[in-house]
Amino acid sequence: MFNNFRLSMAWLHTWFGLVMGFVLMVVFFFGALSVFDREIDRWAIPQTRFEPQPMPSFDRMLRPIFQSMQPDAANVEQARSRVNGPMAKEFPVKSWGAYTTHRDPVLGIFAGFELPNAKDPEDTVWGLRTVDPRNGQTLPDDHLKIGSQFFYPLHYSLNLNWMNLGIWIVGFAALIMLVALVSGVVMHRKIFRELFTFRPKKHTQRSALDLHNLTGVVALPFHFIFAFSGLVIFGATYYFPVTHTQLHALHELHEKHEAEETGLPHERAGVAGPLASVDAMVAEAQRRWAEAGKAGDVGFLNVQHVGDANSYVSIYRAGTDRIALVGDGIHFKGATGEVLRVDPPLTAVASVNTFLTGLHLQHFRHWLLRWLYVLGGLSGCVCIATGFIFFVEKRKRQHARQGASGARWVDGFAVATVTGMVVAALAMLIANRLLPEQMPAGWAGKGDWERYAFWGAWVLAFLHGLWRTAPVAQARMAPAWREQCWAIAVLAVAAVLLNWVTTGDHLLRTIGAGYWPVAGLDLAILASAAIAVLAARRLKRRADASPLADAAQDPAHQGSAGRHPETARA
Amino acid sequence: MPEALLYTLALGASTVGLAWLALSMDVHWEQVRGERDPLPRPTAVRLRWLGAAFLAASLALCIAVDHPSMASLVWCMSLAGGALAVAFTLTWKARWLRPLVGWAGRGGAA
Repeated sequence: MFNNFRLSMAWLHTWFGLVMGFVLMVVFFFGALSVFDREIDRWAIPQTRFEPQPMPSFDRMLRPIFQSMQPDAANVEQARSRVNGPMAKEFPVKSWGAYTTHRDPVLGIFAGFELPNAKDPEDTVWGLRTVDPRNGQTLPDDHLKIGSQFFYPLHYSLNLNWMNLGIWIVGFAALIMLVALVSGVVMHRKIFRELFTFRPKKHTQRSALDLHNLTGVVALPFHFIFAFSGLVIFGATYYFPVTHTQLHALHELHEKHEAEETGLPHERAGVAGPLASVDAMVAEAQRRWAEAGKAGDVGFLNVQHVGDANSYVSIYRAGTDRIALVGDGIHFKGATGEVLRVDPPLTAVASVNTFLTGLHLQHFRHWLLRWLYVLGGLSGCVCIATGFIFFVEKRKRQHARQGASGARWVDGFAVATVTGMVVAALAMLIANRLLPEQMPAGWAGKGDWERYAFWGAWVLAFLHGLWRTAPVAQARMAPAWREQCWAIAVLAVAAVLLNWVTTGDHLLRTIGAGYWPVAGLDLAILASAAIAVLAARRLKRRADASPLADAAQDPAHQGSAGRHPETARA
Repeated sequence: MPEALLYTLALGASTVGLAWLALSMDVHWEQVRGERDPLPRPTAVRLRWLGAAFLAASLALCIAVDHPSMASLVWCMSLAGGALAVAFTLTWKARWLRPLVGWAGRGGAA
């Protein structure tokens, strides 16, 4: 089929890269935003704009809140198909958990409840709350944490939850990412000689390829490790779910054996039992961490078999000071507070695994590295976007001559995934600032409307992209790119202004007070506006400089559509 | 804030090191020094050693602030950032890199 290995790699890179590139663009962009997901939450929920808080007292504050919790109505509704017969009215509590990080002013807590008459006896329904640790007040449940509950899941699941479809698509895209990186390196004949090369004054096809190579190669370790560690994180749970499918019985047995070994009861005893002071257990855990030279705060606290004689409490350390995602868990008997188990040191394999997981999930406190990750993510976006542009530029003249519309469709999709995605994210932030705190009775919650704004804006951007890329079919530049850049600029400025108007937090105030979660996001949004204006003006200048000159400039590549990009250019 | 200073130095060392590595290539040397002043071979070798030394210094600075596991990530990402900065400087403001090779005399007298 191909004359040599390099050509076969080029085919692989071009076509798999093109198709999965649209998914990867979403993954990279929202991955870059997820680096600051907690900060985006602050922007979107102004009541939570205060300093991060440590885990509050369990005995005094959290326990009464947990005791008042019930499963969320939506969660129960979703579970309706998982029970035999009618849905129960009462749900016995199974577990309580509280989770915080060094970037969270508010505390997320969750309670797991038994699902009576469930088809799977271990099935659970969940109740979630968000607590202000300063006073124990709970926040309204319908306020969407746009960063951590929308942009972040978009990064790994596309928010397509049916049958975990999104997670599978993203996993396949990550696999293709690895393939694209390897095949890209094989194709690239001047990887060192052109490492620093970007020639914007050459024609679009050449400069797009320069930028594609530049952003792909300089951040190659980042791209590779993040695609790989992403697959590792979901590997055992989703991509190779043998323990939950073929080996289900063995898995259950293993859990029981493990419980015997660790002394942490697998089942409830069925006898009611008290819960000793959890605060005393936290103090003991912190004393032991400090003794081991790892003094730290509590990141995650879990009470298993709540209310039962077999109840136990697990306390995990917040991993702010290391890459590896380890909890150094210490487990206590609920009834007495005696230590049942201290997690043993990690094996070599587990150390590698926690390092890979930790470097991707970033629980550490390191602002420089966070920003460098954003740079890595955005350079991935530039790499993919310039890949699309190269694809279109290389083929549009030939397609125009043949009357084919392939290049135009690709350009339309590219507009929707590159600029359209930014438009959608900004529309969501604007909706967040414009919608009232409480939606009228009978309407969907505020969070739902924010989601509609996001998807609605994206659909509009896609339709606009398809419509305004028509000139590509005549081998000219699409005005869609320029117009959506202007849309980004307008929406971005509007978002920052609306933040000011609705909360009083303008940049002078947030920077003056050193409140970087909000100031940083406002500045980043304004920077996007500036880049969008610059891009729009350049595109206009290029379009005005005679649309056909571009085509006439380099006739040599016109017959090279099926050839390798590098050989075509050589 | 010594930490911030060390990070700044580490990022700076990465960028300067990569700039020297770039300048050890004919095409980038010419962007900075002009076509009439070709790159002598000994200068190219010296630039490569200097570049490598500065990248090593950058790694040492990263390790001085953070645990080696964290430092390796910061260093690796600083290379990506530095390389982008060098590439774009060469594209738009190549002359800014002149001071880095000011010591390498004209006509190959390096």
